[in-house]
Parts: sequence; structure tokens; C-alpha cells
Amino acid sequence: MRNKVLEIKNLKIRYVTDDGIVEAVNGIDMLIEKGRTLGLVGETGAGKTTTAMSILRLIPDPPGEIISGDIILDNIKLLEISENEMETIRGRLVSMIFQDPMTALNPSICVGEQISEAISIHQDVTKEGAKEKAREMLEIVGIPGSRMEEYPHQFSGGMKQRVIIAIALSCSPKLLIADEPTTALDVTIQAQVLELMKELKEKLEMSMLMITHDLGVVAEVCDDVAIMYAGRIVEQGNLEEIFKYTKHPYTEGLFNSIPNIDDRKAELIPIRGLMSDPYNLPDGCSFCDRCDYALDICQTEKPKKIYFSGTHFSECHLYSGNSDFQLNCGKK
Amino acid sequence: MSEFLLEVKNLKKYFDTPKGKLHAVDDVSFSIKEGKTLGLVGESGCGKSTAGRVILRLLEATNGEIFYKGKNIRELKKNKMRELRKEMQIIFQDPFSSLDPRMTVSEIIEEPIKLNKIINDKEKRFERVLELMDLVGLSRRLMNTYPHELDGGRRQRIGIARALSLDTKFIVCDEPVSALDVSIQAQILNLMKELQQKLGLTYIFITHDLSVVNHFSDDIAVMYLGKLIEKAPAEELFSNPIHPYTKALLSAIPRPTLDRKVDKIILKGEITSPINPKDNCRFANRCNYVQDICKQTEPEFKEISPGHFSACHVFSDHLSGEFE
Amino acid sequence: MNADVLEIKTEQLLKTKKRSQLFDVWLRLKKSKAAIAGLLLIGIFIFMAILAPVLVSYEDDALKMNVRVRLQTPGSDHWFGTDELGRDIFARIVYGTRISLFVGIISVSIALTLGGTLGAIAGYYGGKIDNIIMRFLDVLLAVPAVLLAITIVAALGASMLNLMIAVGVSNIPGFARVVRAAVLSVKDQEFIEAAKAIGAKDHTIILRHVLPNSMAPIIVFATLKVATAIMATASLSFLGLGIQPPTPEWGSMLAGGRSYIRDHMYIVLYPGMAIVLTVLSLNLIGDGLRDALDPKLK
Ligand SMILES: Nc1ncnc2c1ncn2[C@@H]1O[C@H](COP(=O)(O)OP(=O)(O)OP(=O)(O)O)[C@@H](O)[C@H]1O
Ligand SMILES: Nc1ncnc2c1ncn2[C@@H]1O[C@H](COP(=O)(O)OP(=O)(O)OP(=O)(O)O)[C@@H](O)[C@H]1O
Ligand code: SF4
Ligand SMILES: [Mg+2]
Ligand SMILES: [Mg+2]
Repeated sequence: MRNKVLEIKNLKIRYVTDDGIVEAVNGIDMLIEKGRTLGLVGETGAGKTTTAMSILRLIPDPPGEIISGDIILDNIKLLEISENEMETIRGRLVSMIFQDPMTALNPSICVGEQISEAISIHQDVTKEGAKEKAREMLEIVGIPGSRMEEYPHQFSGGMKQRVIIAIALSCSPKLLIADEPTTALDVTIQAQVLELMKELKEKLEMSMLMITHDLGVVAEVCDDVAIMYAGRIVEQGNLEEIFKYTKHPYTEGLFNSIPNIDDRKAELIPIRGLMSDPYNLPDGCSFCDRCDYALDICQTEKPKKIYFSGTHFSECHLYSGNSDFQLNCGKK
Repeated sequence: MSEFLLEVKNLKKYFDTPKGKLHAVDDVSFSIKEGKTLGLVGESGCGKSTAGRVILRLLEATNGEIFYKGKNIRELKKNKMRELRKEMQIIFQDPFSSLDPRMTVSEIIEEPIKLNKIINDKEKRFERVLELMDLVGLSRRLMNTYPHELDGGRRQRIGIARALSLDTKFIVCDEPVSALDVSIQAQILNLMKELQQKLGLTYIFITHDLSVVNHFSDDIAVMYLGKLIEKAPAEELFSNPIHPYTKALLSAIPRPTLDRKVDKIILKGEITSPINPKDNCRFANRCNYVQDICKQTEPEFKEISPGHFSACHVFSDHLSGEFE
Repeated sequence: MNADVLEIKTEQLLKTKKRSQLFDVWLRLKKSKAAIAGLLLIGIFIFMAILAPVLVSYEDDALKMNVRVRLQTPGSDHWFGTDELGRDIFARIVYGTRISLFVGIISVSIALTLGGTLGAIAGYYGGKIDNIIMRFLDVLLAVPAVLLAITIVAALGASMLNLMIAVGVSNIPGFARVVRAAVLSVKDQEFIEAAKAIGAKDHTIILRHVLPNSMAPIIVFATLKVATAIMATASLSFLGLGIQPPTPEWGSMLAGGRSYIRDHMYIVLYPGMAIVLTVLSLNLIGDGLRDALDPKLK
């Protein structure tokens, strides 16, 4: 029996602003099983952060509103419980790491106290106990416990991010959401932090939702991948299915846009154009005006999910009626 | 005239800070042939941008020489330097703060042409602006829009058009694509490559992304805390890195493939402070191969095989037979 | 490359106008009800100032004493009543508007020009120059503005010109600081460096890039300062150090009427209200502008 930690069903979220309505998330489904990491990939404005914030029920309202859908975390329907109940869930069942390590810590409180604060909110411990646990957490993320009393500005970017990880993990959540946790870090430091996150995930038997735009990071830490475009998940599958048997033209475009480090002569094939205006999404497939394969039907009708295996699906008209279609970089 | 378009010798830039002298660029030497690209890589704060700015004299160097077409430009008077700026340009990292928010797209591209009195006739100047917009793939429709109404990719195209508006031969590209989405990044990289071929441009390409620099550069120079630690032709550097930092850096790049060939080298320790650094190898406290000598003296930056330079007691001295 | 590149001809493009950013600011300002109320109010005052000679006669209504009609309560003959010398209060307020707005705007212009230049130089060049200028201004700032103004008027003698100089000079340090801060926040942005890189000279950079981008806080500050300058003018005149009677000025009208306040409140009520309303409307506009000009809201 599969052990579902997070299940999202037909989630729709929009922002109502003075300039119009942004349909940030347009009906997505998502499933994360125990101990697995799902990578959520997509470009700026695809709706990744919005999705993540909805799991914590932290969408700013107004302007944001969840129109429909279900979010089920550890058998609790998050959209149906009260704000008070939600507060006990945040940090205990699910916690989040934000992109910018520079602003996520309070500059005037020493790091040890910031960690022990997070602990004492959810756990019934004495002040001493919390402090002891905080020291332990700090050491788990590779910072000597003797630096408990230091302030964030005395730490480098990588160390700050590790403190944030320590805070996020201090109550052993079932699900860790990481929103571009290493984008602001250098490659060598990124390698350290990713390694650490992988290790801790194993140790604490957590599940993880890893938001990133870097397919390299995905290949390294994720088990499953969801490719998001204009508020929809356009392709999802396990690592091998996405990397080896790419189905959606957008996913293919992403791979072709990355310089190949092992082949410097390889030509880059960018995706042309820009993501459609989020205030005004097209009727048909949202990717249609950038897609080299587009058919007539793509302009008018939204593609439906087509499954290639129990886990692998793609939303693209190319495969309706012809599930053997092969992508070829848009060359007809 | 020398065979190099640009030659930098023993370039130093120190900043005065309350805590002491910050060695942002410390004794850096390299050269670039015309029409080629030198990639300058290294982690945040290692002095890449400072080096780029000092070369263009947007910052005054503390010490050292910069030869452009054989002339030492550090000795040029202000107005002579201004003359030279028509040939030496820069593209900035941040497409959001590098364009004046109060000017329209065409005004931004027009400004250098107007200021340097290249074309005085208004109509002709305007033709030139449109020509440049076509060249970098900006729709003419956008000429009266303001930068904040455009996306990052388009804004970066404006920056490129502006850099090309003069008699440009040499461009310092300071992380021109790191603020962009991958799909847009590839568009801009292709554009820059195409322009280089078309116009015979010479680039210094600053970045922290090694896969981009590999794709783009002929030579690659790796910086660490203000020092050059390795420099080689791109292929050579990737196939045969010598310095332990370069090795770690190469291995740490997340690769978007399932069959990873290289094992990751995870570095321990933290970067040392660039303020009043000691006279030893600046990488010593993170290095997996550190020896006593590394903590005592500074390794020399020397040629190990033709065109391949490195500064490491253990590896480069070993390879050149001086270390036992 | 671009399909639409070919569609549009050069001549057509040359004719197209850029959309002014001022228009954008107006669109945003329009959204604030308070700012619109302020604009309406100040519009009325400006209207009165311009049309003063049409509305009332300066000689006959505002200046000529007419003891027969002294201390009349507001009515159809004299809308706001008459003062102790039988002058029409409405007429005096209308003409007072001219003086208040004029003195306010001119003295702020003096402060803005002098203080602004000093602040821009200090901010742009930094270092020693900055230090010298700012220390000098600190000394000026150590003396309370009103006291400084009083001293200047006392030294130069009371006249309208001296009043404007006094109010203007006492505002120099404030303007210098605001302009310096605005310049500092712009100076380190990359587009300034970009301008240097294309060979722009210092004065071009300051005039074309630094100042236009630091305008927002300066405009807001200037608007608010016109209000304070009007207050200062009124205060000094009230003390007898500003505009001299019989010239109609709100402050001196207050001073003149203050002994009648018990039985004839309206003598001080209307000039007082005029001061409050102009200051209020300018403050409303200033706050509205602050939001409308904020580039973060774009
Ligand atoms: N508070 C908000 N008010 C209005 N629109 C918003 C708000 N937050 C997000 N949006 C819009 O919702 C869409 C999705 O935004 P979201 O932040 O989820 O994207 P993302 O995939 O996380 O992008 P990024 O990679 O830039 O972080 C975007 O078009 C964005 O402009
Ligand atoms: N104006 C300045 N005053 C003092 N220190 C400075 C100044 N500019 C840069 N530095 C310091 O010089 C060092 C090198 O900075 P630089 O911006 O060149 O790094 P970089 O390699 O471009 O880094 P990044 O990848 O983050 O852009 C840093 O330690 C930085 O803090
Ligand atoms: S549905 Fe059509 S337009 Fe969309 S990705 Fe598939 S082929 Fe391209
Ligand atoms: Mg996001
Ligand atoms: Mg930099």
C-alpha cells in the first residue's frame, strides 16, 4: 500500500489585482509518497511558489484566493480545517525553506535562539531542553554547537541556509517544502547544502517538495519530477521517464536550452518567445504560441492528461490518438 | 602592436574598509586575442566584477597595467579614455537596475550615439537605433516603452543593443544571463555568439555558471578570493583540471543527466575573508590536499603545459617537477 | 527575426509619441481621494489668487479703511464680515492668498535651488566634499528654523523680500539632506555606471540620470515644505516680522484681529481657516504624490 504524504487534487488559485485576474494555478494534481522527493520545475511566474504557499495556507488573501481543490496532508484536508488547527500543522507536519537565506533570519536574534524558538512552539519542552535540541540540530547541519550564540550576519550565505534548514527540520516534519533553496548559493556551497538535505531526508524519513528551475539539481536530489507551465503541470513522471522519455515539447525545450557541460560544441536550441501573459491565457494549450509542433487543435482546445505509464503523463495534443509520437526538436 | 587585444598585468584593486584592506583583485594577469572570449569564473565575492570594472576604468586600479591594443590605458587622460570607451563596453548582470527607469527603450539605445556625437542628424540617428533593435531582435514596436514594462530577456537585449551602438570591439559581459530563465538564457547566449561572429567582438565573459562558460569561451580563467588560480583553454580546463578548487568546482556542477560520470568533491570549511589575507594559499583551509607548505607560502601562478597555468603547491609544482 | 519588424515603417515610428510618465503618475494620483480633495482645495486658492482683481477691488475693499462699517458680522454685503478698520475680510483673504502662495513658492524655490545643489554635489561626489558641505549644514541645522528666520529678518529688516530670503535660507539644510539622500540612493545603481561606461561626463550624468530619478522624494518634500513656508510666513507676520500692515496677509490679519477674538471671532476665524486649509491641502497632495511617484508600485 502506498503511503501518501501529500495529495493535491484539482487545485485552482488566482490573484485578483487592479490590472486583472492572474490565474496562477489552473487545476493541478500532485502526489508525494513517503520518503520521496518531488521536483517542481518551471520558469518565472509558472506558479511554483503559489502552489507551495497554498500547502501552508499562506497565500496572501487578498489578492490571492483558492477557488477550488483539495489539499490532503497526512490524511488531513487542509482546506477544511480552522486557522488555529493550521497553525499547529505548520512547522510540525510541514515546513518550508525559502529562497533567500539573507532575509529569512531575524538579524537581531542569535541563531541558537531562533532554532529553539521554533522547537518550543510545537514541542512541549523546557527552555533548556529546547536549547539542547537546537544545539543538536545545528550540529546535524554541520555547524559547531559553539556558534549558537552568534548572529546571522556573522554567518556566510551557505551557513545561513543551513541554519534555516535546521529550523525547518527541528520538529521533524513529514513534508519539507524547499523553494529554490540553493539558487542564491555558489556551486560548491550548493553541493554541500544539497548533500546535507539528501542525507537528512533519509535520516528523518521525510518527503520533500523541491522547487527549482535547475534540471541539474532535479537529477541529483529528486525521485519524481513535475514540469509546470503557466499554472498547469504539463508533464510528470519519475526521473527516468522525464529525462529519458521526454514527452512534452516544453520539457524538451528546457533540456535543449541548457548548455551541455560535457559537449561544448553542442548548439543551444532555445524556446522561442515568452510565456503568455498570465492575465490573459490562451484558450488552447498555454504553450501553443511557443511550440514548434503545434497542431491546429492546440489553438482552440486545452489538451488533456495522457498517461504513458502509471506514473508518467503529459498534457499535449500530440499524443491523443497517437501515443507513439516522437519529439525531434521541432524538426518536421 | 602585440598579438593581444587586451593584456592585463599584475592588476590589483584593494578597497579600504573599516576592518582593513580588502583584496578584491590581487595580482591578476591575463591576455585575450582579438575575436576571442575569455571566461572569468569563480564564486560570489571573488572579485570578478571588480576585475571587469577596473579593466574598463570604471574603478581605478590600485596597481598594475592594462594594455589595450598595446597602449597602457591606465595612463590615459580622462578625455582620451572617454574616446576609448567607444570601443570598450560593458553588459551588466542585472537587467533591472542597469537601465534608467525614466528613459524609453529608444532613448536608452540612442544615448551613447548622441553623447559621443557619432550621428548628429536626428533622423539618421533614429534609423541607427532601429537598426540596432533589429540586430538584437527587439521588436520596433517596443521603442517607446519603458524598461520596467518589459521582461528580463528583452531588457538584457536593450543592454546589448546599447553596448553595440558605438564602435564596439571589446565587451566585458558581467553575468549577462544569470538573472534570466533557462529558456531565455539560451536565446541571449545564442544572440551574443551570433553577434560576436558577425562583428568580430572580443568578450570577457564573467559568470559563476561553469556550463555557460564552457559553452561560450575559448579560454577560461578561474578566480578565488582575488587571485587567478588556474587558466587554460576551455577544453583543456574541463578535461584536465589541475587546481583542487577547479576540480571541486567542476565536480559540483549539478548535471541534468541520469548517468553521472564524475564523483562529487564536497568541500569542507568556509571561504576565508578577503580582508588582509595572509601570504599563503588562499584555498588552504578548504583544500582536501593541503600540505604544510600551503599554509606558509603563496603558490606561484605558472605555466604547466602550453597555455595551461595554475597556482598550487601540490599539483602544479608536482607537474612541473619542483615538488617532492 | 521578428515578423512585426517589417510591418512598421520608419516614418510611422518617428511620429509615434512616447507615453509620458507624468501621465502615469496622474493616473495613480487620481486613485487617491484625499489627494484629489487637496488638489481641488488648492485649485480654489490658486483660482482666487489669480482672479483676485476680478473678484474684489484691492484699493477699495482690502485696503481702504471705512470706520462706518467696522466689525460687521458676515452677511450678504461682506461675506466674511469686516475687521476693526472696516476692511472686507473676504477681500483681504483673497489678496492674502496671493502673498501666501507667492512667498511659499518663492522661498521653497530658493531653498530648493541652493540646498538642492549643495545636496546633489555632496551626494554625488561623496568623500571630503560631502563632509565639508554636510558639516556646514549641520551648523545651520543646529539653529531652529524659525529662530534662524527671525534672526535673518531682524538683521535685514522686515520686508517681503527679506521674509522670503529668511524662510528660504532656513529651509536650505532640509532640502540639502533630502536631495543628498535621494542622490545617494540612485548613485550606486548600475545605470549610472552604465552611463559612465558610454563616456558620459559628470554633469550629464547628474542632470540626465541622477536628478530625474531622485525627483520623487524631492517633489513630495517640496510640496510639504510650501505648506510649512506658508505657516512660517504667517507666524513671522503674526510676530510683526514679516509682511507689514496694511498689506493683507493671513498671519498679520490674525495678529490684528486677536484683541477682538471674544466678540468678533470671525475676524480671526477666516484667516485661520485659510491657513489651515492651504496647509492641509498641500499635505494631502504631498502624501498622494508620495504614493503615486513610488516606482515600487509600478
Ligand atoms: N501577491 C500577488 N499578487 C498578484 N499576483 C501574484 C502574487 N503572487 C504571485 N502572483 C502572480 O502569480 C503568478 C505565479 O507566481 P509564482 O510566484 O507562484 O511563480 P513562481 O513559479 O514561483 O515564479 P518564480 O520562479 O519567479 O519564483 C505570477 O504571474 C505572479 O505574477
Ligand atoms: N565599492 C566597494 N567597496 C568595498 N568593497 C567592495 C566594493 N566593491 C566590491 N567590494 C568587495 O570586493 C570583493 C569582490 O567583489 P566583486 O563584486 O568583484 O565580486 P564578484 O566576484 O563579482 O561576486 P558576485 O559573483 O557576487 O558578483 C567582495 O568581497 C566585495 O565585498
Ligand atoms: S499541446 Fe500542442 S502546443 Fe501544446 S505542447 Fe503539445 S503540441 Fe505543443
Ligand atoms: Mg517562486
Ligand atoms: Mg559580480
